[in-house]
This record gives sequence, structure tokens and C-alpha cells, in this order.
Amino acid sequence: MTHDTVLVFSKTWGAIYLMAVFLAAAVWTYWPSRRKVYDDAAQSPLDRQEDQPCR
Amino acid sequence: MLNNNTVENVLVLCALVIVLIGGVAILGWGVPLAYVLHGWMIAIFAGWGLIWMITRMSEEIRDIPLEYNDKVTRFGVIAALFWALVGFTVGDILAWQLAFPALNGDIFWSNFGRLRPVHTSAVIFGFGGNALIATSFYVVQRTSRARLASESLPWMVFWGYNLFMVLAATGYPLGITQSKEYAEPEWYADLLLLVVWVGYLALYLKTLSRRAEPHIYVANWYYLAFIVVIAMLHTVNNLSVPVSIAYPKSYSLFSGTQDAMTQWWYGHNAVGFLLTAGFLGMLYYFLPKAVNRPIYSYRMSIVGFWGITFLYLWAGSHHLHYTALPDWVQYLGMTMSIILLVPSWASVFNGILTINGAWDKVRTDPAVRFMMVAILFYGLSTFEGSFMAIRPVNSLSHYTDWTVGHVHAGALGWVAFITFGALYKLVPWIWKRDGVYSLRLEAWHFWLALSGTLIYVGAMWNSGITQSLMWQTYDADGAFLYSFLDSVIAMHPYYVARAIGGLLYLIGACIGAYNIYMTVSGPKKAQTREAGPLVQLPAE
Repeated sequence: MTHDTVLVFSKTWGAIYLMAVFLAAAVWTYWPSRRKVYDDAAQSPLDRQEDQPCR
Repeated sequence: MLNNNTVENVLVLCALVIVLIGGVAILGWGVPLAYVLHGWMIAIFAGWGLIWMITRMSEEIRDIPLEYNDKVTRFGVIAALFWALVGFTVGDILAWQLAFPALNGDIFWSNFGRLRPVHTSAVIFGFGGNALIATSFYVVQRTSRARLASESLPWMVFWGYNLFMVLAATGYPLGITQSKEYAEPEWYADLLLLVVWVGYLALYLKTLSRRAEPHIYVANWYYLAFIVVIAMLHTVNNLSVPVSIAYPKSYSLFSGTQDAMTQWWYGHNAVGFLLTAGFLGMLYYFLPKAVNRPIYSYRMSIVGFWGITFLYLWAGSHHLHYTALPDWVQYLGMTMSIILLVPSWASVFNGILTINGAWDKVRTDPAVRFMMVAILFYGLSTFEGSFMAIRPVNSLSHYTDWTVGHVHAGALGWVAFITFGALYKLVPWIWKRDGVYSLRLEAWHFWLALSGTLIYVGAMWNSGITQSLMWQTYDADGAFLYSFLDSVIAMHPYYVARAIGGLLYLIGACIGAYNIYMTVSGPKKAQTREAGPLVQLPAE
């Protein structure tokens, strides 16, 4: 395993890996059925009474 | 209710005993005076912690109250303000010394190389780090609706972190440094911080795991990225071999280009995960609370999180353009830095659009104004950063004051503005006050800080471009037209302007500290039906 083979591997597969993980994160986040989860989460700091914890 | 956790107590005790032994070894075997003093400090702190822990454990098991633990957050706010004043003062002293070199008094400890890390460590780690620790404890409890998972760890984190800061700030003037920018403390202080940081991570994860919410609110993602990545960076960049227990000196495990690359992998990600991700966590909690509107696009804040997390880790090599570093690594860093603009500006638009609909608050509430300007400066400095990472642009900007201006646009304009905005909201909440002592003083702080920043950054842009052009001007025979000293002399007016800008910023911060002091020493909020901050009770 030379420096060049490691280099080529990281240049190609590294970029593909990065793109794949990014796409997975974007698709997961924007999946239509998950909309409500995020809408609720966005409201959570504003809706809750904050004077006492639950546990 | 919680019970005192014995396993955790034993682990904390073990950590304290190890730190105590380390401190005693240093004070016993140490040779240089400053190093021996550090040994004493470590031993006294650890001994005090041990006594506190043993007293606690020998008492009857106390009920842990069902309320949020804000005491350590209050200490964190005070420590952040203390280090802010130290850091801004030393920074401005340095600015005046650069304009009038005789001001260093020809004393060994006041030369630039020794005072400069006091300034950088005090503002980045003392002010920024304490503000992040304090606000992260507040935010994780509120968004998880759970008390901090431990009674002893928060104190270990707070006092241990500030002991590290004291070791750092007192060591530099006396010559204790490993000469790595933003990672100057020597091996023994680094080991102490490692213990503290593991405690911080454990506490944060444990608190999140106790949450009463199905989803982990996005601010916690950013805070957690800050904690995890700083742990990783700190450990790898500080791998070194101490020469002996008797001396603070150590040698890095890496050498040459590898050392430089490791250092800038560390350095740039300290910017990315301490000065950016951590403060974005602060933004994504305190901005919605301050304007009483949800994040404009919650999903964008998550995609932005993954963008920033993935891309920052590649960008460090742009600090080493045109060096012995292989070209492909330089181009990789440059490319990733350019792409980084996308998630950065996604956060900028998300922040501005969150304010959209509450513009009246920008006018009436100086804290919201602080936050809005912080977002604009975040947008400015991320654009500037991506631009400066381009190799030909970097050949112009590198080693000039443009870099100094860029850093301060980010540090003064983004990091400190978002922190002051958040603190003006947080202080009345955690001390249970009706509001900040004086909105007028808050507005004075805002305008002084803004004019100081604009003067500072403007002066450094001018001096940076001037330096660069003077260094790259050749005569017909290809010789330099200007000597280096010519460019130093030409900087004088800009350096005076910078020192004035810094002074305005410092005065603003003093007013802010006074305002917060008066808020804290003022009367408590009437103990009636209390809603949380800015939450409206339904009409009955």
C-alpha cells in the first residue's frame, strides 16, 4: 500500500462517502412524514412551562 | 427522585486523588518557581475538592430538589465576565504597545509573545468557554426538562476548567508555553483539562439521557458537537513527551509538516466547533426565546449542523497555503472551505428569518439587537473566511493584518455579540429578576461595542491590504521597492485606530459588567405565579 494508493482511495471514496452521508442526512430530515416531529421540536422551547423540571 | 450515585462519586473521588497526586508531584519535584506554584495551585484545588466530596458523602443522603440547577450557571456567567474584562484589557494594552512599542516598558513578561496568549486564551477559553459551559448547562436542562444528572460533576467541570485557565494565564508571562497557537498550555495543564472535559461530556450525555422530551432539541446537537470535537482536538494536538516531572517543558509527538498540519487541524476546528458550533447552539436557543418565535426552519438547522460538522474538519489546511504541505492537501482545504459557506449562510438566513416578524424587538430590546448584529457578523466573517481560503487570495492576505481583522470580525462581532445578547436574557432568568437593571446602559454597551468592532475591523482591513501591497511591490529590476520597516511605519495610524476601537469595546464591556452586577444585586422578582421567561400564561 503506497502513499499514492491511499491518496486515490481517499480522494474518490472519501468524496463519495461524504456525499452519501450528506444526502442521507438531508433525506432523513426532509422526509415528509417526519415533518411533525420537527415542527413540534421547533415549538418546544416556547411552549413549555420552564419553572420546574419533570425529573 | 435521584439518589446519590455511588459509582459516580467514586469516579469523581478517583479523579480528584489523581489530580492531587499530580499536583503534589509537581510541587515536590518541580524546579522552576512558576511550575512549583502551579503544583501548589493544582494540589490545593484538588484537596479542596476532595474535602468537599468527602463531607458531602458522609452527610445523610439529601433529597435532590425537583428544580433546575442554575447555581453553576451563575458562577459560569460571573467567570465569563471576569475573563472577558481580563482578555479585553490585555488585548487593548497589546494594541497600544503595537502602536507605541515603548509602552511594553522593556520588561520580560510584558513583551508581545508572552502577553498575546494571555489575551487569546482569556477571550476564547476564559470568556467564550465559560459562557458556553454556563449556557449549555442552562439549555440542556430546559430543553430536556430534567435537572442536571449530577450534583458534583457540574462543580468539577466549572472549577477544573477555571483552574486550567488560571494555570494558562499565569504561565504565559512567566514563560511556560508549548508554542502552539491557541494550545499554549503545557502537558500538565492539558492533562488536567482532559479530566475536566471527560467529566463535562459524561455529564452532558447523562443529562440528555434523562430528558423528558422525545426529541433532542437542536441547540444540544451543537453544544454536544462542541464538547465531543474539542475533546478529540485537544487530545490529539497535545500529544507530547514531557522532558521530566521536574520541568514544564515537553516535545510534540509530531514534527515538521505533520506538526503544522495537526496544529491547524486543531486550530481551525477550535474555530469551527468552539467559536462556531457552540455559539450556534446558544443562538438556536436564546434567539427563539428572545423574539418568542420558533426557528424559521428547524430542518435547515439540522442539515446545517451536518454540513458544518462534516466540512469544518477538512478545512484546516487552508492555514498552510504555499508551505511544505502537499499541494493536494492545500487544495482540499481550500475546496472544503468554499463549500463551507453554504451551511454557514444557511444558519445566517435561518437566524435572520427567525427575527423576521419581530423587527420591533430589534428596536426596543438591545439584547435582540446584539443577536441580530451577531448573525450579520457571522455571515460577514464566514464569507470572508471562505474567500481568504482561496489560494491566490491567501497569497495576498496571509501574514498580514487582514487575518487579524478577520478573526476579530468573528470574535468581537459574532462570538461576543451573541454571548452578550444571550447573557442579557439569561441573567434575569437565573437570578430571578424582573429584567436587566438598565436598558439604556445595555444600549450604550451595544453601540460602543458596535463602533469599536467597526473601527477595529476597518483599520485592520486597510493595514492588511497596505502591508500586502507594500510587500509585493517590485521595481523595474525586480527588487523590493519597500523595506519591511517601511511597511511597519506605514501601519502606525491603523494601529492607533485599532487601539481606540478596542478601547471602545472594552468600555462597552465594563458598562455591561456593571449593568449585570446591578441586575444581580437588585430586587428579586415578586414570588407570584411564575411563568417561565417570555412564556405567556393563558388568560383565565
